[in-house]
Amino acid sequence: MIPRQMKTLTLFGLITAILLTAVSLYAIEDLPAFGDENSPVNKQIELFSVDADGLVDSLNAGVLPAEIKTRIEEMGFIPGPTCQGCQNENYPSLEEGNYEIEYIQEGTWLGGRVYTKGGWDVSILEGEIYYNEPQQYFFINESDGKLIVYRYNWPVRVTERTEEETAMINAVTSGLADYRGYDTMGEETVILTGAIGVILLVRRRGRL
Amino acid sequence: MMEWIIQHILEKYNFWLSMIIIIIGLSAVVVKENFLKKLIGLSIFQSAFFLWVVSLGDVGRNILVTWGLKTQTPPILWKEAEEMGYIYANPLPHVLMLTGIVVSAATTAVALAIVIRIYQLYGTIEEPEVIEKELEFEKKGGEVRNASG
Amino acid sequence: MTPETKPYKRDIIIEVTTNLMFPLTLLFGLYIMMGTGGTGGGFQGGTILATAFILYITVFGHVKGREKMPESINALFKSLGLFLYNGAGWICVLFSLAAAQWLNMPAFWPVTDYLGVAGSRSFLVSYMVSIGIGLTVMAAFVSQYFDLAWKEEDEMESGQR
Repeated sequence: MIPRQMKTLTLFGLITAILLTAVSLYAIEDLPAFGDENSPVNKQIELFSVDADGLVDSLNAGVLPAEIKTRIEEMGFIPGPTCQGCQNENYPSLEEGNYEIEYIQEGTWLGGRVYTKGGWDVSILEGEIYYNEPQQYFFINESDGKLIVYRYNWPVRVTERTEEETAMINAVTSGLADYRGYDTMGEETVILTGAIGVILLVRRRGRL
Repeated sequence: MMEWIIQHILEKYNFWLSMIIIIIGLSAVVVKENFLKKLIGLSIFQSAFFLWVVSLGDVGRNILVTWGLKTQTPPILWKEAEEMGYIYANPLPHVLMLTGIVVSAATTAVALAIVIRIYQLYGTIEEPEVIEKELEFEKKGGEVRNASG
Repeated sequence: MTPETKPYKRDIIIEVTTNLMFPLTLLFGLYIMMGTGGTGGGFQGGTILATAFILYITVFGHVKGREKMPESINALFKSLGLFLYNGAGWICVLFSLAAAQWLNMPAFWPVTDYLGVAGSRSFLVSYMVSIGIGLTVMAAFVSQYFDLAWKEEDEMESGQR
C-alpha cells in the first residue's frame, strides 16, 4: 500500500510545480524589471499621451491645458463635471491658481532621486486636509511630438518629506509607525493572540 | 526570440530565483508525510515570498544594461548621498513585509503547539498512521474523548 | 539507565560564556530599538531582546530560566506593551472623531510647545510606539518558547530534590 501512495503524492507535487511554472511564464510580461528606477513600483506610472500641437506654450506660461485636464477628470483623479461624486472630497482640485507648474532639467538631483528625463512638474498647493504644503502630483514629458502624462507614486513623497514632517531620518520606521500606524497596531494584537493561543493549547492540569 | 528571452528571463532573474524556492517549499507541504517536515516547508515558502516582494524595491541601475556597479543605498537619509551619486531605495516593500516576518514566526509557534497535541493524543506524527487510527476509532463507534494525554 | 533518566552533564565553558553574553545581548537589543537615527525599530529590537532569554533557557534548562523571567513579570510586559501602543492609537481615533488621523496627538500633548509639530510626532513614535512594540514582541516570544520547551519529567525531578 505505501509505495502506491508515495507515487500518487509525488505525481501531485510534480503537477503543482509544472502548473506554477506555466502560470509564471504567462504572468512575467507585466512584472517590472529588476533594478529599474522608472518602473511604476518605484517612481511614476504612465497615464496617457496627448498630441502636442500648441500646448507647450501654455505649459511654459504656467497654465494647464484643457485637454489634459478633462482626460485626468475622466480617469477619476480629481472631482469635476465629468466625474462628479466618483471620488471622495479628500482629493484636491486642479482649478485656476491651485497648482504650480515648474520645468525641471534632465539630470537634476531632488530629494534622493535623479530626473532621467526633463519635463514639467505639476504640484498642487492646497487641498489636502492635514498637509498644507505643495505636493507633487503629475509629471509631463515631451517626446516625439507627444506629451506623456505621468503620476507620481507614494515612495516619492516619503523620501522627500520624511525629514520635514516627522523629524526622523529612518524612512522605514516613519512609514511603518507614523504614516501607517494603524496597520501596525493591528499586527501587534495578532502577535499577542499567538502567544495566548500557545498557552491555551499546551498548559493543562491547573497550571494556567 | 532571443530578445524575448533576454528581456523577460535574464532581466527579471529575481522573480525566477524566488519562484524556484516557492515551488520547493510548496511541494514539500504536499508530498511529505511527516507533520514537522510539512511545517518546515511552509516556513521556506513564507521566507521566499518575502524575498521576492522586497526585491521589487531595488533601484540601482540594471546590470545587464549598463554594466556598472549598482548605485543605491538603503532608505536611511544621510547628507553625503548627493555628492556620491547614490539613490535611495524604495521603502514601501520593506514597510509592508516587516510585520509579516514577525507574524509568520508567531504562527509557526502555534502550529508547533498543535503538533505537540497530536503527538500526545495519537502517539505518532506520521500522517498515514494517524488516519488509520482515526478510521479504526470510528468503526468501533467511539465518541469524542477527553484530552487526558 | 534509559536516556531520559541519565543525569545531565554540565559543561563549564558553555555556562561561563552564556553568563557573559546574556547582559551584552540585552544591551545590544536596546540600542537597536532606540538608537540614534539608523536602522532599527520596534520589531527588530524586540526579537533580539528575546534571543538573549532563549539562549539562557537552552543552556540552563527551563527551571532556572523561570527565575530570570517569572510568570507575573512576563504577563505584565505582554500587556504593558499593548497598552502603550493601543492607548495612544485609540486616543487619537477618539479625538479626531473617527477620521483616523495620527496628527491630532500634538494638539493637546504638552510637548508640542517646546519641540514643534514634527518633533512631537517623532517623540510619540520613538518613545511610545517603539517601546510598546519591543516589549510585546519580547514577552510573546519568550512565553512561547517556555511553553514549547516544557517537559513534565524535568519538573518532577527538580520538585523531588
